This record gives sequence, C-alpha cells and structure tokens, in this order.
Amino acid sequence: MNFGFSITPSSTINLDKVDRTMFEHLHEIEPDVYKCMACGSCSSTCPAGRFSGMSVRKVILALQRGREKEAAGMLKGCMLCGKCSMVCPRGINTRHLILSICRIYNKEQQ
Amino acid sequence: MKENIVIIGGGVAGLEAAARLIRLGYSPIIVEKQDHLGGHLAEWHCLFPDMTPASDITAHLVGEVSDANIFTSTEILFINHLKDSYNVMLSNGISIITKVILFTTGFRLFEASRKEEYGYGIYNQVITNRDLEHWFNTGEDARISSKPMEAVGFVHCVGSRDEKAGNAQCSKVCCITAVKQAIEMKKKFPEAMVYCFYMDLRMFGKKYEDFYISAQRDYGVRFIRGRVSEVSENIEGKVVVKAEDTLAGKPVRVTLDLLVLMAGMVCNPDSTKVASMISLQTDSDGFLKSKDNIMDITSSSRSGIFYAGACTGPKTVPETLAEARSAALDIHNFIESL
Amino acid sequence: MRERFLTGYNDFVLPFLFGMAFILTWCLVGMIRIIIRLPREDRRRFFLSFLNPKILLKDIKDIICDCLLHVKLWKRNKLLGYMHSSIAFGWFMLIVIGHIEVFFYAPHRAKLLYFPIFFRYFMAEDDSTMGGAFFFFLMDFFLLVVLSGIALAIIKRIHSKFFGMRRTTNPSFMDLVGLYSLWSIFPLRLLAEGFTADISGGSFLTKSLNSVFHAFLGNHVNMLPTWWAYSLALCVFFCALPFTRYMHIPTEILLIPLRNAGVKIRHPRKGYAEAEVYACPSCGVCIDACPMGVMKTHIKDTTVYLNRQLRRHNETRIEEISDKCLLCGKCTAVCPVGVEGDRLRIAQRSLRQYNITPDYSCIDTDALVRECSFGGQEDGKVLYFAGCMTALTPQIRKAVESVLTKAGIRYEMMDRDGGICCGRPMLMAGRFGPAEEMIRKNTEIIRASGATTLLLSCPICYRVFKENYSLDGIEVIHHTGYFDRLIKNGIIHLGHTATKYVYHDPCELGRGCGIYDEPRAVIAAAGELVEADKHHKESICCGGSLGSLTLGFDKRQAMTANALNNLTKASPDSIVTACPLCLSTFHRYADRPVEDIAEIVDRNMN
Repeated sequence: MNFGFSITPSSTINLDKVDRTMFEHLHEIEPDVYKCMACGSCSSTCPAGRFSGMSVRKVILALQRGREKEAAGMLKGCMLCGKCSMVCPRGINTRHLILSICRIYNKEQQ
Repeated sequence: MKENIVIIGGGVAGLEAAARLIRLGYSPIIVEKQDHLGGHLAEWHCLFPDMTPASDITAHLVGEVSDANIFTSTEILFINHLKDSYNVMLSNGISIITKVILFTTGFRLFEASRKEEYGYGIYNQVITNRDLEHWFNTGEDARISSKPMEAVGFVHCVGSRDEKAGNAQCSKVCCITAVKQAIEMKKKFPEAMVYCFYMDLRMFGKKYEDFYISAQRDYGVRFIRGRVSEVSENIEGKVVVKAEDTLAGKPVRVTLDLLVLMAGMVCNPDSTKVASMISLQTDSDGFLKSKDNIMDITSSSRSGIFYAGACTGPKTVPETLAEARSAALDIHNFIESL
Repeated sequence: MRERFLTGYNDFVLPFLFGMAFILTWCLVGMIRIIIRLPREDRRRFFLSFLNPKILLKDIKDIICDCLLHVKLWKRNKLLGYMHSSIAFGWFMLIVIGHIEVFFYAPHRAKLLYFPIFFRYFMAEDDSTMGGAFFFFLMDFFLLVVLSGIALAIIKRIHSKFFGMRRTTNPSFMDLVGLYSLWSIFPLRLLAEGFTADISGGSFLTKSLNSVFHAFLGNHVNMLPTWWAYSLALCVFFCALPFTRYMHIPTEILLIPLRNAGVKIRHPRKGYAEAEVYACPSCGVCIDACPMGVMKTHIKDTTVYLNRQLRRHNETRIEEISDKCLLCGKCTAVCPVGVEGDRLRIAQRSLRQYNITPDYSCIDTDALVRECSFGGQEDGKVLYFAGCMTALTPQIRKAVESVLTKAGIRYEMMDRDGGICCGRPMLMAGRFGPAEEMIRKNTEIIRASGATTLLLSCPICYRVFKENYSLDGIEVIHHTGYFDRLIKNGIIHLGHTATKYVYHDPCELGRGCGIYDEPRAVIAAAGELVEADKHHKESICCGGSLGSLTLGFDKRQAMTANALNNLTKASPDSIVTACPLCLSTFHRYADRPVEDIAEIVDRNMN
C-alpha cells in the first residue's frame, strides 16, 4: 500500500543503542585507538583516499559508532603504504591498527 | 640592599622581574645571551588581542630596568652550588656569588624545518610565524614577493601537539597568534583568501573569542578543521597544500602564494643546559619543573632558585608578566627570611 | 698392524651403533620430507642441479667452506672461526683417516660401521710399518685439534666477548644435553685411547698420556668402561641431535645444494623454510646484528629465537617475533649458514587470515596514464616515480626534479598527484594477493606511459620494482645509480667541496638490492666521504622501517639513536642517505644535517 510517504530510518546516531562490541574488542588489541583526535592528517596523506575514499580517521569514527560495514568498505582501498603512521601526530601505529581491524572484522555478523 | 640576585634571561619575564625587584630596593643582575634585551618580543610586530605594538611594550620594559646591572651577549659558563649560595661564572669573566637565581630563560621556537613535509627551507613560499612578524616589522623578506597575494594559509600546531616532533604539549598562543596574523594579512591584502588549518581552536584568553569572531565576520578568514599533511610546489611556483576538511569529511587541496607555519614553543635548550648544572629537574614536557604546578609555579625544588615565564611552559605575555611579578615578591620574601 | 680380537667385536659398540642408526634414519626421513614438500618445479630444479657440473662444483665447494672450514666465521672473528672449524674439520678428518686405516690394515672389516671409530681398541700396532705410525700421528694430531676447539667452546660459554660476540644465545635444555655430550666425546676418546696406548700403540698424544699417567692408565681394569663411556657419549649425542641446535650440521648439507639450485621459500613452514629453520646453528651472530638489540627486551625476538620457536611450533611467539621485525635483513647478511630471517618472517606473516580483503578495482589506471604519458615515440624517456614516502620528504623530489631539469633530461612524473603504492609494504605484511594487484596496476601504467627508464627515489619501491615486477625493456634505476651514471658519462659535473659526508646504506638499497658503490661514488665526487663504524652490508637500520608491523613510534627512538651513534663515529659534517624514510627518521633526532644524495648533487652541480 502506498500512503504517499515512507518511513526513513532516523539519521540520528543514537549512542545509547550503538553496538560497541567490535570497537571494544579493537581497543583491547590496540589501546592507542582512543588517542585519535581526528586531525585528518592520515586521510589527507593517504594515497588510496584519492581512489577509494579510504580514511583511517573515518574508519575509527565509524567503528565507534558501530557502523562496521562502512569501515570495512573504506578499508578495502588501503594499500598499507604506511604514510598514515608517518604523519600521525599522536604516534598511533595506524598500519597495525588497520591490519587488526581487517583481522577481527566478522563478515558473517554484518 | 646587598643581596645579589642573578636573573638569567633578559626577555619579558626577566625585565619585568628586574623592574619589580628594583622597586623593592634590590639591584638585580640580568644576564642575556643575545646582544639586545626583550627576547622574542623584540622580534614581534604587534600583540593580540588589541594589536598593541610589541616595540612599545619592549621599550617600556627596558626603560624600567635602567638601574639594573645588565650583561648582554653574555652566557653562563657554569654554576657551582656552594654551602648556602651559588657561584655563577659568566662568559665575560665575571663570577657572582649569590643566594638567589631567577630563571627567565624562556622558550625557543620549534625549528620548522624539522617537519620537512611542510617544506620550510625547501620551498620559498613557506615561512614561519616569526618570519612573518619580521616582515611586518621590516618589510624585508626575499621570499615574499611585493605582488598582491591571492591566497595565504596558516598551519596551526607546527611542532606542537605532535609526538613525532617530540612535543606533545599545546603551545597555547599559536591559535590566537594565527588569528592575529591572518587579520594583519587580510588588512594588507583585502582581496586575498586567508585560510587557517587548525586541529582545535583554543581561544581561552580575555577577548580572544571576540578576536576570532572578528576574523571570521569582519575579515572573512576561512577556518578549516584539518591538519595539513603535505605541501608541494606547482609549476607556477605556488605551494599546494593537502589537508582533510574533517568537518566535510573530504580531502581538500588549495594553492597558496604564502604558507605560514605557526611554529610552537619548545623548551629552550640553553635553559635545560644551565638547569642541569645545578641538577634542576625538567618536567615530562621538556620544560623546567616547578615545585608544584598549581601552588608553587615560580619555585624550583632548590632553595634560592626561582622560575618565571615560559621556561616552565608556554605562556602569553600577560601571564609571563604576572609570573615575573609574583617571582619578584617570592624572592623578596625569601631574602627577608634569610 | 694386527687384530687384537678374532671376532672384531665388543658389546660396547652397541650404543654407538644404535645412535648412528637412529640419526641416519632420522636424517634420511627428514631429507625426504623436505624434498617431497617442495613445490614440484623447485623439486625438479633441485634434482636437475646435480646434473649441472657448475652447480655441483659449487655445492661441493660451499659444503667444504661452510660446513667444514667455516670460512664465513673466520672472516667475522678468527677465534670463533678456529673454534668451529677445528671441531668440524678435525672431527671430519678423524672419521676419514679412521676409514683409511681400516681400508689399509683391516679391509675385511670395512663393512663394519663401528670399526673406524673404535680402531685403536680392535687393532694394535706392531711397530713394523712406518705407515701405521704415520696414521696414528695424524689421528692424535686431529684429536688434539678437536680438543683445542672444545676447550675454546668452553671458554666461549663463559666469556663470549673473546670471540667478538657481545651476546650469545641462551641454550635450551636439549641444547645443553647435546652440548655436554659433544664436549665429553673427545676427552673420553682421548682417555680411552690413552688406556689402550700401551697395548695398541698410539702417537705423541695418547702414548705420552699413557706413560705420564701410567699408574692410572696402565691399569686395564678401567679400560673397557672408558670405551663404553666413549661409545655412550656418542650415542647420547646422536640421539639428542635432532632435538638440539646440532641438527644444523646435517641440515646445512642439504640446504646448500637447495640454495645453489635456486630454491626459495614458498611455504612458511614446509620445504626450504623448514631446511632453513633446522640449519640454524643457534650461534647467535644475529643477536648482535639485530638493530632492535639496543633494547634488551627485544633480544628474544631475533632470528635465532624465531627458529627455535618455529621448531617448537609456538604459534603465539612466532607471530610476535615475525610481526615485530624491521625486516632490515642484517641477520640474513651476517648469518653464517644463510638463514633468511627477513624472508622467513614475511612467510610467517602470510599465514595470517584477514576478513577484509583489499579491492583496487575502482582505481582507473587510464586517468593515471594520462597524467604521465609522453607524446611522441623517441627513445630515452624517463618516468620518475617518487613514491609515497617521498611525498613526505619534498626536498628529495625537488632536488631530483631540479637535477633532471638542469641536466636537460626529459622526464614525466608518475605520481605528481599521488599514485598507486608500489606494493612492497603490502608484501612485507605478507599479503601477497593485494600486492600483486597493485603491481599489475602499476605495470599497466608504466607500460602505457611509453617510458624506457623508470627512475625511483625510494629504495623500498626500487626493490619491489626490481624483484617483483616484470618490466622487460624498461630500465629500473634508483636515483643514486642514475646520478652516478650522469656523472660518469659527463652529462653533469659536480663541484668538489671539503664537506665531510658519511653515507648511510638504507637497508632496502644496500642489503636489499646490493647497491653500495654508486652512492659512494656520487658523494666522493661532491666532497669527502667517510665511513660509519658499521657500513655496507653491516649498516644499522635507522629504526623507521615499514617492515615492522607492531613496533610503535615510541619504541624506535633508541634504535635511531644507536644508528646515529654508529654514523657519527668519524665526526662527519653531514649525514647522507638515499631513502626518504631514513631521511625523516634521522632528521628527527640527528645533531647535524641529514640529507639525501639528490640534494648534494643538486647543490654541487655546476
């Protein structure tokens, strides 16, 4: 039946309902993930960003918000060149962080 | 009064402390490494938030200390700890026995060439905040062309909040200095686009927020939340800056005529060197360690050694002046109690 | 010579025979296992290599030089070399001369495996032949040689510094069993032959021992137990061998022909990798070589411990050790048996399972080709690929471009606005599939650009372009080599200054690709070249390597400081390198200028 309108999911991120399991798991392996201050250095230096929209900053944010699929989509573009680790002002080992996310990400659950 | 007081450093803190001590009846000795007094302030053009000419303040401070013993172009060779006093040996051959030493050794501007990705020392279009002040003062800088500029960029936090550069601390004054310099550039080149690339804007002081609002509303300075990661040069000899506009979530690139790096404050290595002669501790940020960071910022762990100004961490000029006065009072009380 | 016993047998030979049978079976099974688990084409290559006289000759030469004479150890330290070769070569000669004796004096016993080993017990000299005395002399001589080696080995255990080793391996329990049984074999043999010296005869060592200690050695009651002890020591050593580091002795004999046949690590655990793991003698030369060794906590992450954990199948530690390594390749360069610590680790990393697989299909190579294509079809076009890391050290790119422009060389940049990563960092992480995809994409771009020379500034890129790309017809060259050629061909001229430069060999350029001379020639043309304390293949990694997956930024400073310390021994004015990563790493902590070779060329060009 068409009522002339549809109900779209709310665009609000409800922090009360965010599933943080994966992020917490990631935090256990990579305690430095909390150090990100979202300066964007990694994203702007990333050679893959030009082709695929890869951004470590956004990946971390997406995981914090429980949007794992979105994070996985971005990570597919990563070339692991390590430039993001070089520029990170907080000294986060982003390269290992990326590998860890790629490992613990569970395809079936998404 | 007979008690000797040695003040190491003739910058804002040293001059103000000396002036106050003179008023209290002492005759302090100022030891300054450079050939002139005033420290970093002597190189600055004008100060936030009221655009006060820096030269006025320097002249005032220097004028107040005309009665002090001043040794310029003089360094500390060594300091010995005697039984209840210190023996300070100067490079001009004079040695002073004193019970009181005031460290007003200040800071050093981060060496911007160490962040090679920003291209300082590589591209002519990249200068530092100090270079820009020098240009404001003298109008002389071979790197800056006389032609009107179309676009100018400011990079905040160069060598501050940066573990890779070995300085995790915030330099406190760069945000507001960038706002001030951006306004000055905009006044010189009203047609130019002026961008500030920041991570966080820290407008903590009196009238800073107003200043920031004015930069946005009255001068149209564009603030982009994102740290610059790379700088390159294009064929026309302009610099191309890459950053992420983190608010838009998109990488941005912009072509600029001039890029100004807001080099942060780091501990003055000379200050650490002198401090180590009498085994004074440095804090985790590399600056000198106060006895207590809240209650006793002007005291060191050693009796008779006092601190004032940016030798204990980044500070603004008014903060430094206040600390210098407070240190002068502490020294007075210390001498009284001897 | 006469036989002392008609049977030519005594029960004490049984332990030896048992040990010998055990170890021979073990080695045979192990060898078959390794060969069977090689990929088919590698196995074919291995068997065919024996038909090639050149390779066969090299096999024999290498086995003699490496396994018996330990030439590489001699080069490292004379005392260490003597210690190893005295035991290996001495023992080998004892066996060979033993067989010759049997062949000459008791040919009918030649089929008895134990006879040469216990020759002095079964055969007695009758002073009639000069030959007998001659062989007896040789046997005593080589026994003395081995004993001197054992004595040095004991001293080394206590004080390794005499042997030029700051640190040595911590032996495992089984290693100690092997060690003590090996140490006891030869003194026991001396004692046993000392007992029989007045019956069977002997030479300067055994005979004099017998006469000096006649009161004890003349008493034949103790004779048989000593021969038993000698045989038992051999048995214990042989039976413990597979579980100790001494397994390297037989394994190396297999590793050498495998290597000479061109076999490479293709599986992290099977085949060639397994041969390398068991060929590790646990000598610990890699411990001092490892740049991470400046911090004591990393000592157990060196290659010798990786091999030990691989033998024990301790997966947690294998992963830790493999991921931490900087892949500088120094352990491989100094290893006396040729264990490739870096490749072995990359192979372990390839075992990791990832649930997100990269996909680069969205990269449009056509657009990238348009950015760097040359018009026209003339020869000698240079395509310059600065690389990801060079984007963060713009001084290198600027200098290279400036030199090319001034020299009038026509070039295009492949990554002016950023390009596709070369693939080496991905390879280093053990993810071969995605790396190959990047290699394919880059190959497409390079081929389509019409270039004949690919110029690189980053040794990391240079290595992968050399090793993993097939760019036939296109010359791949690092800017150090390119500038050297420009100077040699008189295309550019450098003004000579009195500046004192020290050159740091980047891991990937030096040990990785063997480029040592070209950069030095370029620097020597521009100023005075001095060497670091450790240089060429012994150069110390800057600590900034992408090879390590887990080492955080804060853990690397000590390594950089150590590398800088090594570089500044000759008090140079300036540190020169040829790698963007080394440049930015050193720049962070150096007390003097750090430059890329390109900057020097650019500055000194007339």
